[in-house]
Amino acid sequence: MSTPIDQTRRTGELSNQPEAEIYDRGYRHYDGPREGRRHAILALVVYSIKRGLGIKKRWTAKIIPILIYGFAFFPVIIIVGIRAFAGNLAANLNYLTLYSSLALIMVVFAAATAPEMLCDDRRQHVLPLYFSRALSKGDYLLAKIGGLGFLMGTVALLPAVFLFLGSTFLATSPVSYFFDHVADLLRILAVGTLLALFFASIGLLIASFTERKSIAAAVYIGAVLLISGFADALFHAIHADWHRYFALADLLAVADGLTAWIFGKKLTGGSVAATASLAGPWYLVSVAVVVIASAAVMYRQYLREE
Amino acid sequence: MSAESRSELMVETVRLRKTYGSVVAIEGLSVQIPRAAVGLLGANGAGKSTLIKLLLGLQSPVSGDASVLGFNVRTEPLRMREHVGYMPESDSLPLDVTAADFVGHMAEISGLPARAARLRAAETLYQCGVDEERYRLLREFSTGMKQRVKLAQAIVHDPDLVFLDEPTNGMDPSGRDDMLKLISRIHRDLGITVILSSHLLEDVEHVCDYVVMLEQGRLAMNGPLTSLVQGEGDVVVQVDGEVERFILALEQKGLDVRRRGADLVLAYHDDTVFDTVRDVSIDTDVLLRGLHRDTRTLEDVYLQRMGEQPADEGADVHAD
Repeated sequence: MSTPIDQTRRTGELSNQPEAEIYDRGYRHYDGPREGRRHAILALVVYSIKRGLGIKKRWTAKIIPILIYGFAFFPVIIIVGIRAFAGNLAANLNYLTLYSSLALIMVVFAAATAPEMLCDDRRQHVLPLYFSRALSKGDYLLAKIGGLGFLMGTVALLPAVFLFLGSTFLATSPVSYFFDHVADLLRILAVGTLLALFFASIGLLIASFTERKSIAAAVYIGAVLLISGFADALFHAIHADWHRYFALADLLAVADGLTAWIFGKKLTGGSVAATASLAGPWYLVSVAVVVIASAAVMYRQYLREE
Repeated sequence: MSAESRSELMVETVRLRKTYGSVVAIEGLSVQIPRAAVGLLGANGAGKSTLIKLLLGLQSPVSGDASVLGFNVRTEPLRMREHVGYMPESDSLPLDVTAADFVGHMAEISGLPARAARLRAAETLYQCGVDEERYRLLREFSTGMKQRVKLAQAIVHDPDLVFLDEPTNGMDPSGRDDMLKLISRIHRDLGITVILSSHLLEDVEHVCDYVVMLEQGRLAMNGPLTSLVQGEGDVVVQVDGEVERFILALEQKGLDVRRRGADLVLAYHDDTVFDTVRDVSIDTDVLLRGLHRDTRTLEDVYLQRMGEQPADEGADVHAD
């Protein structure tokens, strides 16, 4: 067997192939590209998403995300399955039905994931390492909202998109169904984004006040149940006309009302949102107030010196 | 504009003041620190960590101003922080992440592209003495290894200046020696300027060539280490002959003479002390065998400084 050196001797030519490589493991100064704050924020978003999903963490950290995604897709699989096999029997199963169940799943997802975004960084004192870099506190919070918003968005958007595709392929004429209902995709995007921001901002707000993930999760679930329950009680107890506005404090009623308004449907049944019959923009205002107020309080909380 | 070209001074503070409620942490601190390996020295609670946090822009001063590498910490904190690294005193590592992932993430947060960040993380961890262990979760690391990871994240983005807040805290003697050697290498071989905060005089003496000493939030003294430990050293005299007569003559000339074993020690004020000793030895017919300046340690400097203060100040500073 001839070596590259033998070949070189034989042919008298220098080979282009390196015969050996020397790895210098000494410290070198970095003179490559530096991509600035936008890159840093994006890196933190990706890192937060991975942590939220339990990627590169113990298997126990992956259980809740897997269950959440399972439950998020379960209703839509049921809806599409009923449509496929029972046809007209499933006429009342639609985006309103879907989002009604998704809202509850999003509450649970936000309760589990929002603390994952913020609490560990506070409890393990990692924040000084972030804030001693070219990253402002606003950038950090933006990245965390982006990370949780993305995760919540996947829960709020993907099942609905799956329902849209299922409905399209089960239609008598899939092409005409698609073009007739293509606006539904925009509605899905709008509802999904708003609900993701709505539930994510409340979750992050609560998580910004404690270092303990379990406490943040419990407070989140408790707050949603108590505030909604209190609002419902007042809604039913008071008979003056203005009692309708208590529906805006019922977080699940806000989700129902917003979805119905954006999809142009009328809510039926005896739910708070259906009984309140508030104009759709009221729910949008409620979402906007919650998101802006949560972001403002959170920012103020983080402006406190570490 | 590079950080180097902006200012020859590494740090400059002007009447910096910081309070926590009624407690004054930094009081009217004005100091200019040149580019050097700087030891920030003081007792626990002297204001070292607070000063570092103010310089990093992590906290805001009540009044006064500061600049680091020529960047004003109030108006240009983000631009300044592109050029600095920080190793905090307290535990600050996430426990359920590997060292490689975390240091790589910190490099990305400093703006390095993902692939470069991973490579730099591996290289820097290796330089800091964390090689194959970098794939282990940080919760499995000893205190010493965690300190190394903290150091690695502070220099992974190749800063011009790195703030090290009590880097040997909680380490055993052997780990402490390793860490000090590592810090020395970072400065001397890698060319990264270091500000080392410590209450351990030996740490500062080992690594630094410039010292800033704080006392209760105020500047006690600052200057090159060599001038602090040597510039004001006592004068040591060795003589043969009638020593008592020699001492008496020196005292008549206004010199304060102490005995240290067989040596006589005179306080140094200026070079005229040497002329006086020579003249007295001739006058008293005493044989002058040795005459030289005594080299002081940082501990001597510190103790002298503390001697000028009420007795309870500086009690926490160790000179081990």
